[in-house]
Amino acid sequence: MRALRRFIDRMRAKSPWLLHFDCGSCNGCDIEILACLTPLYDVERFGIVHLGNPLHADLLLTSGTVNPRNRKVLANLYAQMPAPKVVVAVGACGLSGGVFRDAYNVVGGIDRVIPVDVYVPGCPPRPEAIIDGVVLGLQKLAGGGRGGR
Amino acid sequence: MDPRVLWTVVLMLAPFAGAASCVFLGRSPAGRRAVVLATGALLIAAALALLGEAPFRLEIPPGLRAPLGVCLTAADAALLAAFLYYGAKYRHAGILLLTLLQAAGLVVFKGVLTRSAAASGGIVVDGLACLMVLVVSIVGALICFQALPYMDNHERHYGVSPSRQPRFFGVMLLFLGAMNGFVLFHDLSFLYAFFELTTLCSFLLIGHDRTHVAVRNALRALWMNSLGGVAFVLGMIEAFRSSGTLDLAGALAAPRLEGDATYFVALALLGIACLVKSAQFPFQGWLLGAMVAPTPVSALLHSSTMVKIGVYFLLRLAPGFPGSFLGQALALAGSFGFLAAAGLAVGQSNGKKVLAYSTISNLGLMFACIGVNTGSALLAATLLLAFHAVLKAMLFLSVGAIEQHIESRDIEDMRGLYTAMPLTALITLAGVVMMIFPPFGVLLGKWMAIEAVARHLPAVVMIALGSALTVLYWARWAGTLLSDPLGGRFHAERQPVLTWLALGSLGLGGAALSVAAPWIVERGLAPIWHPAYGTAYAVVAGGLESATGSFAVLPLSLAAACGLALSAFALHRAFRARRVPPYLSGLQTGEGASFRGPLQQAVRVAARNYYLDRIFGEDRLNPWVNLGGAILLTLILGGVL
Amino acid sequence: MSFGALHGLGGLAGGLLVGFLAAGLDRILTARLQSRIGPPLLQPVYDVVKLLGKEALIVNAWQAFCACTTLLTAALAWLLFVLQSDLLLVFFVQAVGAVFLVVGALASGSPYSHIGAHRELLQMLAYEPLLVLVFIGMYLETGSFRLEVLFAWPRPLLWRMPFLFLVLAFALGIKMRKSPFDLSACHHAHQELVRGVLTDYSGPLLALTEIAHAFEVALMLGFFTLFWPGWGVGRFLLPVAVWAFVIGVDNATARSNWRWMLGTAWGLGLGLAIVNLVWIGQG
Repeated sequence: MRALRRFIDRMRAKSPWLLHFDCGSCNGCDIEILACLTPLYDVERFGIVHLGNPLHADLLLTSGTVNPRNRKVLANLYAQMPAPKVVVAVGACGLSGGVFRDAYNVVGGIDRVIPVDVYVPGCPPRPEAIIDGVVLGLQKLAGGGRGGR
Repeated sequence: MDPRVLWTVVLMLAPFAGAASCVFLGRSPAGRRAVVLATGALLIAAALALLGEAPFRLEIPPGLRAPLGVCLTAADAALLAAFLYYGAKYRHAGILLLTLLQAAGLVVFKGVLTRSAAASGGIVVDGLACLMVLVVSIVGALICFQALPYMDNHERHYGVSPSRQPRFFGVMLLFLGAMNGFVLFHDLSFLYAFFELTTLCSFLLIGHDRTHVAVRNALRALWMNSLGGVAFVLGMIEAFRSSGTLDLAGALAAPRLEGDATYFVALALLGIACLVKSAQFPFQGWLLGAMVAPTPVSALLHSSTMVKIGVYFLLRLAPGFPGSFLGQALALAGSFGFLAAAGLAVGQSNGKKVLAYSTISNLGLMFACIGVNTGSALLAATLLLAFHAVLKAMLFLSVGAIEQHIESRDIEDMRGLYTAMPLTALITLAGVVMMIFPPFGVLLGKWMAIEAVARHLPAVVMIALGSALTVLYWARWAGTLLSDPLGGRFHAERQPVLTWLALGSLGLGGAALSVAAPWIVERGLAPIWHPAYGTAYAVVAGGLESATGSFAVLPLSLAAACGLALSAFALHRAFRARRVPPYLSGLQTGEGASFRGPLQQAVRVAARNYYLDRIFGEDRLNPWVNLGGAILLTLILGGVL
Repeated sequence: MSFGALHGLGGLAGGLLVGFLAAGLDRILTARLQSRIGPPLLQPVYDVVKLLGKEALIVNAWQAFCACTTLLTAALAWLLFVLQSDLLLVFFVQAVGAVFLVVGALASGSPYSHIGAHRELLQMLAYEPLLVLVFIGMYLETGSFRLEVLFAWPRPLLWRMPFLFLVLAFALGIKMRKSPFDLSACHHAHQELVRGVLTDYSGPLLALTEIAHAFEVALMLGFFTLFWPGWGVGRFLLPVAVWAFVIGVDNATARSNWRWMLGTAWGLGLGLAIVNLVWIGQG
């Protein structure tokens, strides 16, 4: 039983399907995230597939500040992901709200709404940094991720 | 008394006696219930008893021939008088004209040609007759049982007072008698009388609600079926001219001269009468219009029994035209009906209309098989006839129960029916599954049909296209029944006992018959065609095998049962898993399928099925299918003239 | 254990292997065509194992029933093919799985799922008649629907039914949901309608549908082996060649709409099939 569980955990790390959600980013981070899919970086080497549906996803990649309008959407998407799951926040705004953190319409970073596992700083972070963050997330996923087994 | 005579007489007379007592005793609900239940039970018992005695042939005793002949003439006259009365009452020129034509034909026939009023022929109870008697008596009786609570609800809902149920049930039982008579007698003049009696019953039942639409559609059914009656009279005259006898087997076996067209003209005319009765294109209108009637009527007349007259009678005639042009033309007409009706069904969201088109479609497949006219093709048609009757009756009754519960017959309104009435939804789903999937009987029949028709290229192409369309409209319906919102635990809804009795016995019966299908084919159906055509199928290891293929019925049934258990286990587990709303771009409110729209308002999600009415709508297709049907009709007639 | 049971189990494992290898090779080939490296060959297996280990999220409990039935019937259809049953029977059984996938998708309230389901139905509408006509062609040529006869047929069917071979390739493209027929769902990173018919299947249920799809692809590829006699290279080269062709087309074309798909399938596909059937019937 334990061997099977370890086996499945290894498969988790080998097949992360990620959902990318742009909360309220300037699109700088999003462009860098999508760049990871290009032939230069080719994240599909690691089995990473970029999806649009939380019901299929293992890893939530978010960028941008949370505001009162999209905080519910963010929470909804997270709730619809089956466990185990990992959240990676990308970019200064996603980490803390960035330069917008004191704006009247900004709630703050991603972790004000849902628990974040990996923080990738930068404005925007380079694709290498994003890939690094995702791979860190994979280790968490292999270790069980969030929401138990 | 000879039990064979006894059961035959019971099968034919009990419905008439029941109908008469309905009119007298039917005023009180209890009396009505007692009469219908007793007649139904008697019919079921008699049909089963007859099965044990078959096959046999009864001659009409010489002493009875003359009085019976007089009765027959009187019945013909009364029926035509009734048609004339209704034609005059509703000022319908077509009905008057067609009835007068029939009357003229009959006068010529009885007065000039046969010159004697005595009845000839006899009663033949062979495999085919037994099959039909079983279908009519058992399925018909179950439908009448379900009609008891249904009509109470119906009259309560429409506020009908005084109750018109005595007449309703009288006609229903009368109809069962007419069907049994049609099936058991082997004399064309008797067949004609019963043929007309079913027309009259169907007219009365379609118009039962007396609304404007009901009357209009009943009149349409009457004139179209009168057209069939005219074809029947003419066919009967030609048959007598060609063979000099009215006995069916005698007429088919009579020696005929080389190059004499009368025989095939007779067959073609009788075939057209069959096409009309079975609502093949371009005569589909009456069956669709008939869907305004209360649902038990639709189930009884227009799915499981009356439309089967056409198939049954053509099966009787089948040994008369193997390898002929008439057979080719009928195969074309049948497969065209299969394809066209399946296409029209795709364009419908009205559940009863889908069922009606599906009926026409399946009947078309049977006609195609009869047209191909080989042993395996006829066997396929016979098998389809039996299974289609059971399952279509069940589906109609389910839709009837659903309609009274949700007050709509539209498939779109059946969304989430599983929550409202889980058991009925599941029974309907089971009916759909048994209509299109292996290892169930209808699909077994379709498998045999495709194998049998494979060398008839135009027919097999149309059947291939039609099958795909069939899967489309059934799958769409099945999915809609199970759709959200989904309640938690399973609580069977409340329905009258008689409804459950009818639905349950038809469903379980259909499933049990499917498992037993190889043996039913081997012991029951194959002997019907064996003498003339040889045996095409053998039972090997619980499956059916022919020279060209095999269908492992029993192993597949076992696999289906195991699969069902596994899937049901998965379902059971799923009921306890964490539930999430469907994917709605992260905007879901969490209560059912609704999302947070403008100004934070909850907006319900609405998704409609595809009905593709730009392609398959009635407006779009009807001119073409009617044209196609008319062309094929001229092909049938032109080919023999 | 009897030989038949071993044969069956081996066949099932073989079907999974073929289905998953086809999917894995597809991803690598596609990546190479885009000058990427692509995932490991066994990536589809990793995906399915991972999905099986995930939490079961349920949108509508009936989807569990439907996903399970889809898998079982897809496996059964493949098994019947391996055990050399009747060709028409195999076709009918595989249709059950395809229909239940749609029924499960319709059971959800999400419009994405609905649109995917209806597109899947339209895809079935497009390929089912083509498949039946290919089988009819095989029957007309060999006089039997039995797979044991077809497998043992001494002459190449390919030369007698070249158009029907093309028609079957057409059906393979639709069944594999490859461009230009990837209407109802598609496998690659580019997605639309959040994966159509599979939208509301999650975790283990998605895994079941993926395994079922592996069997379906194996079955479709298996049909191509009937076109060449003997058990040599030729028999297995045909499906590989057709598969490579379908993947190539997938990478070279964009998605069509359903009208175009239905029009092509019922127009061109049917036309080719009928021409070929007429000529087999004459010969």
